[in-house]
Amino acid sequence: MYQEYSIQYSAKNHYDTLVNDAYWQFLIIPEDNESQQLVSWEFSNSLHDVNQTSINGFGFKTIRVHPGQKFNDISFQASFTVIKKETNPFDFSLPHHNKADYDKLEELNFQVDFEPFLRRTSLTRLPNTYIDMYTFDENKTIFENIQNLNGWVSEYLSFKPGVTDVDTPLEEIIEKRNGVCQDFTHLFCAVVKENKVPARYVSGYLHQGHGYFGDSQMHAWAEVYVPDIGWVGFDPTNNLLANTNHIKVCHGKDYKDCSPLIGVVYAHGANTTSHTVKVLSEQQQ
Amino acid sequence: MENLGNQIFSSYQRNPDLFDEIFDKDGSVKDVYKTLFDLYGGHSIQDYVRLNEKAKSSFFNQGITFQVYGEKEAKEKIFPFDLFPRIIDTNEWDIIEQGSIQRSRALNLFLWDIYHDKKILKQGIVPLELISSSDNYLHQMIGVNPPGGIYNHISGIDVIKHTDGDYYVLEDNIRCPSGVSYVICNRTALKRALFGVFNHYQTHTVTNYAENLLDLLETTKPKGVDIPNTVVITPGMYNSAFYEHSYLAKTMGVELVEGRDLFVENDFVYMKTIQGPERVDVIYRRIDDQFIDPLEFRPDSALGVPGLFAAYKKGNVTLANAPGTGVADDKAVYTYMPEIIKYYLDEKPIIKNVHTYHCSRPDELKYVLEHIPELVIKPVDEAGGYGISIGNRLSKDEIEKVKKQISEAPRKYVAQPIMSLSVHPTYIDQNESFEQRHIDLRTFTVLGKDREFVLKGGLTRVALKKGNLIVNSSQGGGSKDTWVLKE
Amino acid sequence: MLARVANNLFWMGRYIERSEHMARYLNVNYFSSLDAPNQLSQSRQFVLRSMLFMVGDIEEDEVVELKEEKVLHKIALDHESTFSIINNVKYARENANSARDLISTELYEAINKFYHFILNYPVDTFVKRGLYDFTVNVTEMTAILRGKIRGTLLHDEVYAIIMMGMNIERANQIIRIINAKYNDALKAQGSYGDKFSHSFEWSTLLKCAESYDMMRRFYKKTPTSITTLEFLILNPNCPRSIMNSLNQVYSHIKVLDPSKKYNKNSTAFLVGRVRSEYEYKYIEEIEGNIKNFIDTLLKELTQISKKMEKEFFNY
Repeated sequence: MYQEYSIQYSAKNHYDTLVNDAYWQFLIIPEDNESQQLVSWEFSNSLHDVNQTSINGFGFKTIRVHPGQKFNDISFQASFTVIKKETNPFDFSLPHHNKADYDKLEELNFQVDFEPFLRRTSLTRLPNTYIDMYTFDENKTIFENIQNLNGWVSEYLSFKPGVTDVDTPLEEIIEKRNGVCQDFTHLFCAVVKENKVPARYVSGYLHQGHGYFGDSQMHAWAEVYVPDIGWVGFDPTNNLLANTNHIKVCHGKDYKDCSPLIGVVYAHGANTTSHTVKVLSEQQQ
Repeated sequence: MENLGNQIFSSYQRNPDLFDEIFDKDGSVKDVYKTLFDLYGGHSIQDYVRLNEKAKSSFFNQGITFQVYGEKEAKEKIFPFDLFPRIIDTNEWDIIEQGSIQRSRALNLFLWDIYHDKKILKQGIVPLELISSSDNYLHQMIGVNPPGGIYNHISGIDVIKHTDGDYYVLEDNIRCPSGVSYVICNRTALKRALFGVFNHYQTHTVTNYAENLLDLLETTKPKGVDIPNTVVITPGMYNSAFYEHSYLAKTMGVELVEGRDLFVENDFVYMKTIQGPERVDVIYRRIDDQFIDPLEFRPDSALGVPGLFAAYKKGNVTLANAPGTGVADDKAVYTYMPEIIKYYLDEKPIIKNVHTYHCSRPDELKYVLEHIPELVIKPVDEAGGYGISIGNRLSKDEIEKVKKQISEAPRKYVAQPIMSLSVHPTYIDQNESFEQRHIDLRTFTVLGKDREFVLKGGLTRVALKKGNLIVNSSQGGGSKDTWVLKE
Repeated sequence: MLARVANNLFWMGRYIERSEHMARYLNVNYFSSLDAPNQLSQSRQFVLRSMLFMVGDIEEDEVVELKEEKVLHKIALDHESTFSIINNVKYARENANSARDLISTELYEAINKFYHFILNYPVDTFVKRGLYDFTVNVTEMTAILRGKIRGTLLHDEVYAIIMMGMNIERANQIIRIINAKYNDALKAQGSYGDKFSHSFEWSTLLKCAESYDMMRRFYKKTPTSITTLEFLILNPNCPRSIMNSLNQVYSHIKVLDPSKKYNKNSTAFLVGRVRSEYEYKYIEEIEGNIKNFIDTLLKELTQISKKMEKEFFNY
């Protein structure tokens, strides 16, 4: 079974004063991987400047725009067609040798190899007062623990757009118990890492046909490296395992490695920006 | 050699506890300094005062200054310069030169390893925490092969002479070590003021730094480039080291650029010239990692070049030093230098490391607890000098307290012997006389693809405040011309 | 060469040149007024107003009593006034700093000394009794800079750009001086014949442009309005004339743009066009409407400068 998605991304920027020079980098192209195939994509900007593609420091494909003229307004349009394999997220045999898996987490080789995703970053470090807010039960498998955590995070925080932003410290999110998908994911990753299991932040698109939480923006979820299984996607915002509706763009230590749009704009005065994302499921076979 | 008739040194007082680089314990002048001592002794203090003033105004007029920001106008100050040079004989210099090369090469191999196979971590020779707790370890550099295989093209290694007469390394600076322009200016100033003294000594030149730097940088040019176009990138004229940046660009004969002069197109780097864009292949950067590319690192950086890192990662441009090099000049890495040198080169350190006792190791912990008054105790995870205890300044009660702290959390502490910097006769303006002052030495080592270069000289820094051990220019330090003698 | 650095060199040249003209204007006007033949030219208020007029800070109020010390300070050593000599020299040095790797050590050292001389000049001494010493030093030091530029730089693009800056600025300053003195001459007219034409101010004008001796040698007559203007505007052999400046700008821009192709959008084309407009003019065509001439030429010079920025200094 395959499912085809069509994704429309658009961004509009307005600057009150003339912009002399600007660079933008978009990290919005769906990744080509085992579970998804990027069939086609298009990108354009309203100034009709040439778009360049490049690979960022973490190996993901980016689109860059550097206008050759001064302007007040610019907008960007992107569309992607992706085919997702309809897979059962539970399509692996659950491990039985529990002890060996926990031992694996203690191995130096393992810790060295997964260092980037075990590292606490400013967005994924549990504050000292909350360091034990969720601990794993070693009688259960790592996978079960993480699944439970997924449910716990989705209960602990309430989905509420507009109260947090990308710079809100984790401590504040934990205290106010509100947030959006980034915040769910950061909290989830922080707890996973605190329990010595590698976790990474994933940025992508969510097809919202099923009443999932999210907004008309990009979505965020997490991937956890479970010994004996590999990287498994968890969506703590919706208490789900990542599935056919999750279209991955990139991963990183936290949001900062995955910012969908970075702009370096040389202009004074105020500006307004808006983004919209639409994900449509076009056909099913 | 008696001091009689030597007016200039008549009031020089020797503290017998310090290692004086020109006087032996019995007060006689060391052989290598004898001629110099007599030559300077031929001047009256008045002559000397005049020469000193001239040298100062020469620095000032040439604009070899740094800015001190006051209320209204920025004030320009010269970096104080002492006219009495430091001499390093051939044998001692060999140790310093070989030792500097050894450390630079070992650090380069270490950097390659921690950004590729990470063997030294997996074998537990260097603890993983050193890397995982460092903000300077750039994940973007994992798996990247820097052009020519070089990370730390330029290393500034700080060396001191301890009371035992041996040289020790205090720090390895491999981000953007500065100071080399002062080495050359000091030489020029001394030549102008006292050219006569050079007739009596065979001193190695220091003016060949720029040509060697350029040659060696260009050995690490990107693949497929025939004749590389090299530039120096500076944060701009308000940076405290701007003089050095412009000096290096000028003497290398290359352009001095700022971030806004460069742009990246299709992962190639270009500079904006009056004749249009011109490709750039090698960049000697004097901008910190976090500022080189706002699209990859700090997005608020106005100093960098958007897209530079991607161009680097693609192998289209050389950055010297390579991004992510800073992880290896952390203080904690320093303590593992003997292990790092042994691991990659199978050699012993040629210049000693200040010995570090890791309290996490039981036998070393025992030694530390028994010898607190002779040691400096440092917490491993505190930066900026916090939590440091200097053993010989502690009271009995305090020693017990420190012991207790260490015993409770031995992993958190390291200890080092208390080091003393050697002293050198230095002219002190206010007193119009020569006095003992502590000195160190920064050497400059350049690594190329298949060759290395150590500047025969280096920056001797002087702590001008009496008894002070801090030689940094920001802390009121000065400098001296440093002569490395030919055989 | 980097476009940004080219811009720095261009402005370094302009600021050096500008400082010199301002200093000389202060000097010449002040000292020649002390024993000027007619009362108005001798009047201190008249001289101070002329100085402010020249730097573009015109005092409109005809009744207000100007304070000599204040005016001198404002024009020479006031950090707060953007046009002051001290700020000009400061900007010259900042521009030199940015291009420090391209200019000779000797030139940089001379600029640096110049800056420190002015920075350390005691304001009180200057406004009370230092005017002569200060302005003479400024003009001498700019002459040293000129020598260093000519003698210690390779005569390549770097040199060409500095020289373009200096010559554009010279043309600009000479017009400003002409404008100011023309204005003065209208007020302080001579005592015989065509009074305007025989104003004392024409001699002062020539001295302000350091061209009095040259002019006397060329015409062997007392300067009149027509001979003075002819000499300062149209004579290509007078090193201070507008014509000479335009010729130099043209020859230096050819170093940057050696193209012989017809390109009506290039800066070189525009410079050539402006130059040829004045090359074969009679002074009588200008003298009739001097105001118009000044306005047009200032506009043309701005156009050249702007075009140059777009073509070469775009970064």
